[in-house]
Amino acid sequence: MESNIESLMHGFGIAITMQHILLMVVGVLLGILVGVLPGLGAPNGVSLLLPLTFGMQPVSAIILLSSMYWGALFGGSVTSILFNIPGEPSSVATTFDGYPMARDGRPSTALATAFGSAAFGALVGVVLITLVASWVAQFALRFGPPEYFAVYFLAFASFVGMGGTPPIKTLVALSIGFAIAAIGIDTVSGSVRLTFGVPELVKGVDFVVAVMGLFGIGELLLAVEEEMHAKAVSSKIDWREVLRTIAGLPRYGGTLLRSAAIGCWMGITPGGPTAASFMSYGVAKRFARKGSRPFGTGVPEGIVAPEAADHSAGTSALLPMLSLGIPGSATAAVMMGGLMIWGLNPGPMLFVDQRDFVWGLIASMYVSNIVAVVLVLATVPMFAALMRIPFFIIAPLIFIICTVGAYSVSNSYLDVVLMFGFGILGYLFKKAAYPLAPLVLAIVIGDKAEDAFRQAMLMSKGSLGIFFSSPLVTCLILGGFAFLLVPQLMKLARPRRPDLEATEV
Amino acid sequence: MISQRAIEVTTAVLTGIFGVAVVVSSMEVGIGWGEKGVDAGTFPLIVGSAIALGSLYNLARGVLVGHEIAVSWPALRRVAGLFVPAAVFIALIPSFGMYAASFAYTLATVGWQRKLPPWKTVAVALAVPLFLYVVFEKAFVVTLPHGTLFEMMGF
Repeated sequence: MESNIESLMHGFGIAITMQHILLMVVGVLLGILVGVLPGLGAPNGVSLLLPLTFGMQPVSAIILLSSMYWGALFGGSVTSILFNIPGEPSSVATTFDGYPMARDGRPSTALATAFGSAAFGALVGVVLITLVASWVAQFALRFGPPEYFAVYFLAFASFVGMGGTPPIKTLVALSIGFAIAAIGIDTVSGSVRLTFGVPELVKGVDFVVAVMGLFGIGELLLAVEEEMHAKAVSSKIDWREVLRTIAGLPRYGGTLLRSAAIGCWMGITPGGPTAASFMSYGVAKRFARKGSRPFGTGVPEGIVAPEAADHSAGTSALLPMLSLGIPGSATAAVMMGGLMIWGLNPGPMLFVDQRDFVWGLIASMYVSNIVAVVLVLATVPMFAALMRIPFFIIAPLIFIICTVGAYSVSNSYLDVVLMFGFGILGYLFKKAAYPLAPLVLAIVIGDKAEDAFRQAMLMSKGSLGIFFSSPLVTCLILGGFAFLLVPQLMKLARPRRPDLEATEV
Repeated sequence: MISQRAIEVTTAVLTGIFGVAVVVSSMEVGIGWGEKGVDAGTFPLIVGSAIALGSLYNLARGVLVGHEIAVSWPALRRVAGLFVPAAVFIALIPSFGMYAASFAYTLATVGWQRKLPPWKTVAVALAVPLFLYVVFEKAFVVTLPHGTLFEMMGF
């Protein structure tokens, strides 16, 4: 434990430099921008920024990208509260009570409650990473291919079983991701597969192209369909009210802790921030005292619960990414893709080989979340003004940005066409309640999961018995089956709960 | 308008076709146990089958979904208003290049709304390729497609 604190201090030495603080500021501001704009979200923003980080030191690059992630999480809440328009899917639940409170003339209170709870949630997530990540990594160093495959299986099973979307739809989304990951040259045998007669597909389909289409174009189509009317409440910030609200947050200590715990759980088992915020809101609603004001009318707990869970999930999604090489959310998946491009190998070896990178990132998360809270409060009026630009101007601009982003991945027109196809798929998936995050995750780590499977098979000469050959592997595989089946059995035994149905991404 | 049933069925059919294509393609690569262990087509075969079977299930469920409206006429018109010009934009890129296509695309979609005075519309449409040129071509040295037409003219 002591060495963790030492490592963290070492990390602070790396994170707190002029250059890195500056990168945090830039990252957070860009993050708030993509968070505020509907149609552009954290996964897209990070993908767009990715090519610009290739010349950087990996630790600087990850500080920039992760700061953007935090900024986007905060930015999404700004529009939820002031405009009733969620800038990010994960801040949908914040609109339920955040907007009514702001509309009743208390926008500063609503924003401060949201940011305060969000910062608390993020802090819990970072502390968890600080304490547990290196321990998990140390444990995972003993993993061989069968154990790795079992962990992947566990992660994907928990997606299917607990993602909140219909399990078979999640399974289809996940499998499509795996199939897309398999397109191109097979890394083990060197043979070309699944190119469907298109020679350009030999290079494979880049996850950035999929993210641009699925999240960018898909969200954009949804946004025009819903025809948003930005009816803003006043975006003036009353700083005294902000301080008073944040000082009063401990009153909701129980809700804060419970929501952060839900968030951490959903972040580590890849449920993601969106599912976490909905689940936390639902739980808080059930825990609400009898006789108090009903949820949905602007009660503080209704803001605290989704915000704390959203941010603790977003933060703790980096834990499995760093220590196991399994990203806990779509944005974490994009960052992990970045790690691989920078030549790092996500997983337990990072803690041995790339100590500066890992602890620099962890330490930066403490600092950049503080930077984010300050910046987001200071820039609320500015970004609120941005929302007054009519959407018919912003929509084509976002479309062009996504197009250029997809093209610049490998200067290929085919990628642009593919992105458009992914956009249509993303729209259909959203309309039919298929989750998008598993698809992206599967594209990023599909090859690794397949390699682990094939290496395990080589070790056992083709016998599936290897997955039951040691207590550890057996536990992981059985745990996966439990994640897969227990929620279904519980659903059969109990009537459906409508408030948890609507979780997506 | 489009019903929820139509969306469910369309999605399931599309994913199903992809699943079958993956299965067929992976059979050609080779499945099962080869000299180098598990053959390259095996894993795609498994996920392809999962897609195909899952889609079949979703299709069956989708057919049972009620006829409730998923996208109303006005909403569909708005979606088409973004979708159709966007498709044209993408189709224009190979011959006209990113800059000219993005100019035309912005001009058309913003102009179509008739909510901005013409000079503002043109200004926005000019600003887009200019921004792209400065950020990508100059700052980050990423060459965007100039288009075959302009390349023939020597740009």
